[in-house]
Amino acid sequence: MRLLVVEDEADLARTLKKALEEEAFAVDLAADGEEGLFRVVGTAYDAAIVDVMLPRRDGWSLIEAARESGVRTPVLVLTARDTVEDRVRGLNLGADDYLTKPFALAELVARVQAIIRRSYGSPSPRVTAGDVHIDTAAKRVYRDGALIDVTSREYAVLELLVRSRGKLVTRARICEHIYNEDTDVLSNVIDVHVASLRRKLGPDVIHTRRGEGYIIDA
Amino acid sequence: MLDSLRSRLLLSYALILALVIVTFAGTVCYLYWRSLLKDIDRDLQADARAISSVLRAVPSGDFDLELSAQYRESEFVNRSPHTYYAVWNSRGELVDRSDPDAVLPSSRQTGTRIRDGQRETIIDASSGSLILVGRDLSEAHREVRSLATTVGASGGAVLLLSLLGGWFLAGRALAPVARISRAASAMAGGDLSTRIAVERTESELEQVARALNEAFDRLSHAADLQRRFTADASHELRTPLATLRVQLDWALSRPRTPADYTETLETCRRASDRMTHIVDELLTLARGDGERQAWREEVALASVVRDAIGLLQPMAAERRVAVEAACEPAYVMGDPARLGDAVGNLLKNAIEYNREGGRVAVKVWSDGSTAYVRVQDTGIGIAADELPKVFDRFYRADKARTRKVGGAGLGLAIAKRVVEDHGGSITCRSQVECGTEVIVSLPATLDAQTAATIH
Repeated sequence: MRLLVVEDEADLARTLKKALEEEAFAVDLAADGEEGLFRVVGTAYDAAIVDVMLPRRDGWSLIEAARESGVRTPVLVLTARDTVEDRVRGLNLGADDYLTKPFALAELVARVQAIIRRSYGSPSPRVTAGDVHIDTAAKRVYRDGALIDVTSREYAVLELLVRSRGKLVTRARICEHIYNEDTDVLSNVIDVHVASLRRKLGPDVIHTRRGEGYIIDA
Repeated sequence: MLDSLRSRLLLSYALILALVIVTFAGTVCYLYWRSLLKDIDRDLQADARAISSVLRAVPSGDFDLELSAQYRESEFVNRSPHTYYAVWNSRGELVDRSDPDAVLPSSRQTGTRIRDGQRETIIDASSGSLILVGRDLSEAHREVRSLATTVGASGGAVLLLSLLGGWFLAGRALAPVARISRAASAMAGGDLSTRIAVERTESELEQVARALNEAFDRLSHAADLQRRFTADASHELRTPLATLRVQLDWALSRPRTPADYTETLETCRRASDRMTHIVDELLTLARGDGERQAWREEVALASVVRDAIGLLQPMAAERRVAVEAACEPAYVMGDPARLGDAVGNLLKNAIEYNREGGRVAVKVWSDGSTAYVRVQDTGIGIAADELPKVFDRFYRADKARTRKVGGAGLGLAIAKRVVEDHGGSITCRSQVECGTEVIVSLPATLDAQTAATIH
């Protein structure tokens, strides 16, 4: 899952990135509203965490402009204001959830996962494709009820494929989804992850469309 | 109800008016009674003289009364009100009387008196005889009673009308009191926006209302400042608190390396520094809110500016910004430390929002009555629509905002507060991409003039 964090307080941004990466998210940072808007429009993030008070363009205007450009990425708003009007305003402009500073890290992670689940159309933290089950809250993978041990990258690839089950997922999409922009990715690294997943899950789960990408049958 | 000012006013008014009416009515009735008695007495005298004129002395020393029975009947017995007479000779024997049943007075002193509801006059007639003529007073009583009733009724009517009018007038005069009390209650109930509607009349109560409105204004202003201070403080402290919380949550979520712990602690210390700084600035601002002191110390603005530049030289050097000062003598009454804070904040902004290799020019001068400090920079400037907001608390021009320690957005607000506490004003002009100019004007002391002529 790839996240964008738009926060101008450097310490907070760095800490959020560190903490979210431990939760198997690929995280990009933006330090002001313009940069945030540029990124969220240009990249298919699974979710964006946006501070309201930002230099150059505030969070509300960022969300409004992003929604006008057709961005469907779910947005969690972080703000120091906690009045009802502020919350309503944010939600009306197209934000999906709202968290008042200061907040617990665990709550932030849970809310981000919840808005991502909703954006994939399933409110439950458990997603299933055939006999493969994923608990997205615990980040665990089961096949026929048996726990399969996967790395966090493999988990990220599998979660994307299972969430997009029945649809073709290109290598570029997977790449964009599991790595942040700072990582230089070798072209065959996705194939390596998929091959490893096939070894662990069995060969019949992930199908290859040669030259296009991968698909898990619905 | 009876305790209300209106009722008490009306009650005193009613008592006084009733007293006046009763006195007046009593006087009228008394005078009328007197005039009635006078008329009766005149009649009685006339009757007595008439009897006396027909009294004829006889040689034996007795009298003979030549009153025709007809005269007696018409003038006494059948007269209304009932009138009677009696005549005695010098030996005190009753000679004649109009009414055989009439009870005659025991004393036969001459003069006029009232006996048993009858007016009687006794005169000395010729040869030692006495003549009494009396008349029943019940008709006179009736007349006086009827007058008293009439006067009483109209007096009552006047009293009633006056009371109604008085109630109305008192109500009108006291209406502002009701308005004032309603507004004051609303104010006490927490609605600080209430004001008393003031009419244009200059009555004492309208003056009270005006004075109260001014007090309300000051009260609600103070409450606004308080509310803004708390909102500002909580709002501004939330971000460093969030940093603290997230960093600590992360560090505690699983065992970390010593390097991670060190980094966590450093981040937490920065957050704590930032919060300390915000609290300090807020308190500085709160301390100055709404008070104006009488300054005793004369301050040389040139030395204030030079000190401030000296303190900020390292920051300027780091940003490769040149700070130039041109100081003419200018003196104001005030607090050198606070003025130094204000100038320092202006300089800090001029340096911080400058471009690299830029310039900050500071000028101090005085025109005799006003001392000026001008800070010009070659920085990024402030857009025209944001210019009015730069002195607001926590305002940062969006394009220039950075979150460093010291960038809480209170610098210009503090400068403005200090300058205004010194009875001065602060203005700002700016052109985007060219630079910003801030001018502080302060009332100069007279010494500035003499100093100017010396130098």
